[in-house]
Amino acid sequence: MAWSRKSAMFASLSVAMYLLGLVLRNQQLVTVAVVLLSFLTWAALRTSHGDVASSGRRVEEAVMDEGVQLQSIVAMRKTSSSRVFEDGEIDVTLRIQNRSSMAKVLELRDRVPEVMRIKKGANYVLMEIGPKRETEISYTIETPLRGFYTIGPVCIRVQDELGLFHNEKEVQLYDDFLVFPKMEDIKDAMIKSRVPKIFTGAVNIRNPGEGSNFYNLREYLPGDPMRKINWNATARQDGKMMVNEFERDAVSDVIILVDSRSVSETGPVSRNSLVYSTRAAASLTQHFLSRRDSVGLVVYGDEIVSVDRDTGKKQLYVILTKLAGAMAKGNTPLKIVTTRIMPHIHRGSPIIILSPLEDDPTIVDAVRDLRSRNFEVTVLSPSSLEFEFDARRIDRTGYEVLKTERDILMTELRGLGAYVMDWEPDMLLFTALAGARGF
Amino acid sequence: MAEQGGKGPVDTSHLYDGKVVRSSAPSRKKAAGTLKADSGIPDDAVPEVSIPNWIDAIFGGPVLVNREFVSPNRMVLNLQMGAIGSLLVLGFLTFMLTPVSGTAWFALTNMFGIGFLGLWLHLLLILVGLISGFWGVWQRDQRAMLLSYVALILVTIRFAGSKVEFGLSFLPENEVIQKLLLILYAVFLVVYMEISSAVIRFSMLDTSIRTGEVYVMNVKGITDRYNRALGYTPAVAAVVATLTLFINFFVPLFVRILDPVAANRLEESVELTSVYGVALGTILVFIVIASMFAINLPLRIQEYLEKRA
Repeated sequence: MAWSRKSAMFASLSVAMYLLGLVLRNQQLVTVAVVLLSFLTWAALRTSHGDVASSGRRVEEAVMDEGVQLQSIVAMRKTSSSRVFEDGEIDVTLRIQNRSSMAKVLELRDRVPEVMRIKKGANYVLMEIGPKRETEISYTIETPLRGFYTIGPVCIRVQDELGLFHNEKEVQLYDDFLVFPKMEDIKDAMIKSRVPKIFTGAVNIRNPGEGSNFYNLREYLPGDPMRKINWNATARQDGKMMVNEFERDAVSDVIILVDSRSVSETGPVSRNSLVYSTRAAASLTQHFLSRRDSVGLVVYGDEIVSVDRDTGKKQLYVILTKLAGAMAKGNTPLKIVTTRIMPHIHRGSPIIILSPLEDDPTIVDAVRDLRSRNFEVTVLSPSSLEFEFDARRIDRTGYEVLKTERDILMTELRGLGAYVMDWEPDMLLFTALAGARGF
Repeated sequence: MAEQGGKGPVDTSHLYDGKVVRSSAPSRKKAAGTLKADSGIPDDAVPEVSIPNWIDAIFGGPVLVNREFVSPNRMVLNLQMGAIGSLLVLGFLTFMLTPVSGTAWFALTNMFGIGFLGLWLHLLLILVGLISGFWGVWQRDQRAMLLSYVALILVTIRFAGSKVEFGLSFLPENEVIQKLLLILYAVFLVVYMEISSAVIRFSMLDTSIRTGEVYVMNVKGITDRYNRALGYTPAVAAVVATLTLFINFFVPLFVRILDPVAANRLEESVELTSVYGVALGTILVFIVIASMFAINLPLRIQEYLEKRA
């Protein structure tokens, strides 16, 4: 049983008055003190009464499938989804049952992660619940940031009517959910492998050289199938037979490197390099997988976490889960990552590096190595400088100096033949990619 | 494809149906145009730090929290009326039961031959208690309420001797009625303190409800429970106080079973009718209550009720 400030004030006042009354032989003071003490004692007695309900002894610590049971209060929670994307919503329904035969006034708070916002309803409820009754609380939370999260525990408080004493208990009822990074629709990332894959694993190559995307027109050569003849163009060319040429459909290995070193979280919580990188990686993964390429992921921070190349929807969720759990930690240099992965990927495969390009002296060496082995390197660099500057955390002079250093580094990387884009906060991923490829 | 070497705007017309989209962030340009050249730390970059004063440090937080309330609802208005009503009765009882004699200010002013000033000071204290109480309850100002509590308690602090004394001469001489009046005064003081603090408590709750911070299910049920508690808790306190104040009546009642002579002596004992008798009564009553807690009686009663149902 915990004391409130009011009860503490009443208790100290009554003791002081009682003692002073005895010293001054003042019956009036003593009487007030006695009444005040009796008032407190009765309230304490009433609160102990409610003790069974709130702080209650758990029934053999039994955890049932649907929730955790107290002796008389049962809490059960249902969530609409355990996997959701950033800016998504989860509907939570908390059912409270009072299995005792006495009515109770409960103050109840279902703890939600701090970064989540309550969009509809309330997770903090004061209620009077009758004997053998149950009630439902519903609320909707918004999920603005990727990650692994937990709803719970349920905090229950029973207070006496006068607000003098209370009992609290946490019902250990938890529900985990996963927030995937938000994905942007990329219609054409314009990244294609120079070396078409021969062995594609799960997906077969469709007619090499015979793709579905129009490439250009050329003159008819003997042996060309009739269905390829473009009759309109032939008519315009005064009878010279013209045929359509198509891009070859190819399946590539695309490797995405995400920098999750400590430095990548510089900036506000919701606007930093790691947030942008994970969103970009998710969008690119979805795009390439929908194009039936195989995609691999490497996240490096304090350790190197990789997802082997594969195709299909399952691979998308494997990668999204890894991205959701990416934490900004450590300082593994890019060179170590590239040295480790290079022997395992096909030459010429596109490699997309998502990194703020800060605090890593090995970046230039790493990109040089990749380029010398004919990998097609694209660097998308969400600039933490911009985040910091927009949040007014660095002054203009500092910004200009750091920006110049960054520009020099990017120019150097471009000189090595990498496609580099300084990805600024308000820029769409699609625009950034287009910029990187020089379109 | 030619690489875009410089940082100039990139032509993205092919991506947005002919519309040119700038690749550089507008926010950066805007910031560059509006920021001053000084390199000082911007105000919003420094977090606000509230350093507790020594009172806060002692009490582990602010003693009184100033909070803006929404306009009072019906429940709060009823409580305000109740608090003002109890304050009026309390003011009258205080004036009636608390003589100026024995107070420090009366002794001091009397020493200098200006005893009337002591009386004025005494009345002023009661008036301060009343006016600040009214103001505090009506404006929901905790500071004024606290001032009212202090003034109304301060006025009772006096060297009084063991016997009950009244401020008004026409009041009854009967000991039982005198003690009952004292209990009535004490109950009203406690009720006033409780209701006035409830004004703040329910205003906070009402504000939280209306701002969407908390959702309350069955508000009426909760307020009804409070109203009932406000009825019986002071009544119980009054009964306990009666038991302690009338110890010179109850103790001889039990002693009479064993020894009627000793019981008669106890009844006439000056000590037992004085403040020390009250102290003895308090000890006896609270020993009983402590034993109830020691054997965990409330829990057992609860278990019994739950099982029976």
